[in-house]
Amino acid sequence: MSFGDSEGLWEHLLDTVLIKYVKNTLFLMIGVSFFSLLFGVLSAWILTNYKFRFSKILEVLMLLPLACPAYLVAYAYTDFFEYAGPVQGLIRDLMGWEIASDYIFPEIRSLGGAIFVLSSVLYPYIYLLSRTAFRETPNSYYEVAQLYNKNIFWIVSLPLARPAIVAGLALVCMEVVSDFGTVEYFALETLTLGIFNVWIGMNNINAAAQISTFTFIFILMLLLVEIRSRAGKRFNDTSSRQTYKKAKDITGIEASFCIVGCLIPVSLGFFIPIMILLSNALSSLNFHNYYEVAKIFTNTLLISLFGALCIMVVSIVIACTAYFSGKRYLRTIANFSASGYAFPGTMLAIGILVFIGLVDKALGLLGGTNSNFYLNGTIFMLIFAYIVKFQAVGYGAILSGLTKTSPNLIWASRSLGMSFQKTISRITIPLIKKSIVAGGVLAFVDIMKELPITLLLRPFNFETLATFTYQFAHDELMGKASVPALLIIFVGLIPVLFLNRVLRSNI
Amino acid sequence: MIFALILSSANLVKCEELNIYSHRQPFLINPFLEEFTKKTGITTNVIYSTKGLAQRLRSEGKNSPADVVLTVDIGRLYIYQDMDLLSVISSKKLSENIPEHLKSLDNTWFGLSKRARIIVTSKDRVEVGAISRIEDLADPRWKGKICTRPGSHVYSRALMSSMIAAHGLEEAEKWATGLVSNLARRPQGNDRAQVKAIYEGQCDIAIINNYYFGKLKYSDKEDQRTWARSLNLVFPNQGETDRGAHVNISGGGVAKYSKNKDSAIKLLEFLTDEFAQNLYGEINFEYPVNPKVEATSELQSWGSFKEDKLPILTIAKLSREAQKIIDRVGW
Repeated sequence: MSFGDSEGLWEHLLDTVLIKYVKNTLFLMIGVSFFSLLFGVLSAWILTNYKFRFSKILEVLMLLPLACPAYLVAYAYTDFFEYAGPVQGLIRDLMGWEIASDYIFPEIRSLGGAIFVLSSVLYPYIYLLSRTAFRETPNSYYEVAQLYNKNIFWIVSLPLARPAIVAGLALVCMEVVSDFGTVEYFALETLTLGIFNVWIGMNNINAAAQISTFTFIFILMLLLVEIRSRAGKRFNDTSSRQTYKKAKDITGIEASFCIVGCLIPVSLGFFIPIMILLSNALSSLNFHNYYEVAKIFTNTLLISLFGALCIMVVSIVIACTAYFSGKRYLRTIANFSASGYAFPGTMLAIGILVFIGLVDKALGLLGGTNSNFYLNGTIFMLIFAYIVKFQAVGYGAILSGLTKTSPNLIWASRSLGMSFQKTISRITIPLIKKSIVAGGVLAFVDIMKELPITLLLRPFNFETLATFTYQFAHDELMGKASVPALLIIFVGLIPVLFLNRVLRSNI
Repeated sequence: MIFALILSSANLVKCEELNIYSHRQPFLINPFLEEFTKKTGITTNVIYSTKGLAQRLRSEGKNSPADVVLTVDIGRLYIYQDMDLLSVISSKKLSENIPEHLKSLDNTWFGLSKRARIIVTSKDRVEVGAISRIEDLADPRWKGKICTRPGSHVYSRALMSSMIAAHGLEEAEKWATGLVSNLARRPQGNDRAQVKAIYEGQCDIAIINNYYFGKLKYSDKEDQRTWARSLNLVFPNQGETDRGAHVNISGGGVAKYSKNKDSAIKLLEFLTDEFAQNLYGEINFEYPVNPKVEATSELQSWGSFKEDKLPILTIAKLSREAQKIIDRVGW
């Protein structure tokens, strides 16, 4: 589609809106990166190095925003912070102001607002991956650094955790670039929103596809930077007896600082929006038919579980092959396969429709005229789309696990006569078990929250909690949307809590 | 369990069933479909999405299971016609029930309900009669007083198209520039949000689709009912020689490769008959397209109005020029 006729639209776009789109996208990415790094790395560092009252609970709490879809948090905050919302209303009452021009209050539907919302819900990606990395840093490294009286955070932890942090950051940036729900709601004209203006407004999908490709270059550059910076640096420990750093007990003021430092991001990304949603939900509890909601609920669980399983199998195969083969081009292909994450869901879905349409034509030719087996409109198409979109999640997690295992183990096993497949299943997979579970859970939650792909590619009468919520949220009927929205978050919590247990247990 | 899912999706195409691709939310169309099933015994399956269904239909080609397409906004309907995804239908009933300017010339798509783009003003801060035409919104007198949706939304774009049709490109762009310089805030939110902003005093004037007023007036939330009470409605361009208020449609058509064309036509006919035409008004405060059906008494109580009889197709055809102006003036 990208090569199709754009009917001279580029000239018009360059003259008018394109620069605005690019600028907004860049600022959004930079802003969200900054705050989610701040939230994610800081809290991970605090919670791996210090032990204080509530630190165990906080470890779990930090993950909770993972369960919240960004667009729902955006809806909730808009209600809360906009001119007509309770916060500004209260300020006006307290200060005796009457109209908008009496005072200055930052507008929630703005670039700043989008940065605020997206960083609050996306920081757990960085937190999760960097915490695992911090925790698995061998103590011997710290001891050496301490001997030389160096700062262990800047000299040891950060450099060692960098692949994990960058992997998390890459996920965050991809989420930002492909986000449609939040930017649409805030009317923030990013490239993704521009794609839709061109596609629907100008009725020109070719030009829209060209902008998507252009957007894609953004992400490709991002990935390249990441891969480059990682090249030539392998972080694995070859000593046989690994011990990990013990967390230091702290109390009093130090502990309170730590608690507050962790509570801020989790309140922004979870507690406050949840409270807003809850109060909305209470007003329309009687609206829904709960038998129907229960069916949708089960449906959502099944599809997410199955999707996550498929993604992890594909990711393990791709990551292990690429990592251990030593061939450069395989790695490049593997990295490329992870880029689906950065595409706006709807554009990706349309690409898949075209692809599956071709496959179906081929199947039709093979099966003759009697064949009536089509992939289009089936659950397979949806699962395939999930794999394309979320493979990056699984792949990233596994790759960061692999960089921590020593290739020597693999070579040893191979030289002892084990086949490559057996080595992978007996040695590598048990070694990176935690990473596999972490990736799987992220994929599960991502699928559950996913909206645009599911909306467009689903079979008839097929609802997930996200699509069900959307029909109300789209009309700004927040009360009615809140009940299923809370269910999405609630279901998302279970795997997130489970994930935390797996990561804590010593394997 | 996954197999159960697969089976359930594979089993769908059987007996008397109708498959619908809908741009309208299920909670809005279900009451229509339930009544249709009761009356005809034909059951319906629905996929709802706001975007991309035309692309889905196209990539499915001849294998597509879709029978009926239902959309809101003429722009979306036109995309289906433009991609050649709809069947040509000959139905006496549809020709009788729908006026010429609200359907396609080639009998591929049909308007099913009308919504007027109206102006609402604050009861306290804007005199009755101070604004009577959509053109007035560009008057510098209203600087910092107007709220709207983003220009790139289909409803704004359709209004922009109607301005181009009425005044030509140049004048229309001048109007848009004037409107944008009168805005109280960056365009944002849906029509509900504009009303809220008037109630809270952020602006005095807004452009909304008429049904939002009804939805707010009868909202189950007390605060939304209060917003509605703070408004005066203005049906714009009602002067004797004026063109009338811009209207848009919700509409539908039969998919080109539908395997159940007869049932599909039955559904469209049902939707233009008295029962369904009334239901559009009752559920969603929309006006009937069928000239034999009167608007609901609630709608009548808002005042009668003259509509712009511009062929609705023209709106769709001018959509691209409209978007270009919107991009240029930064609406």
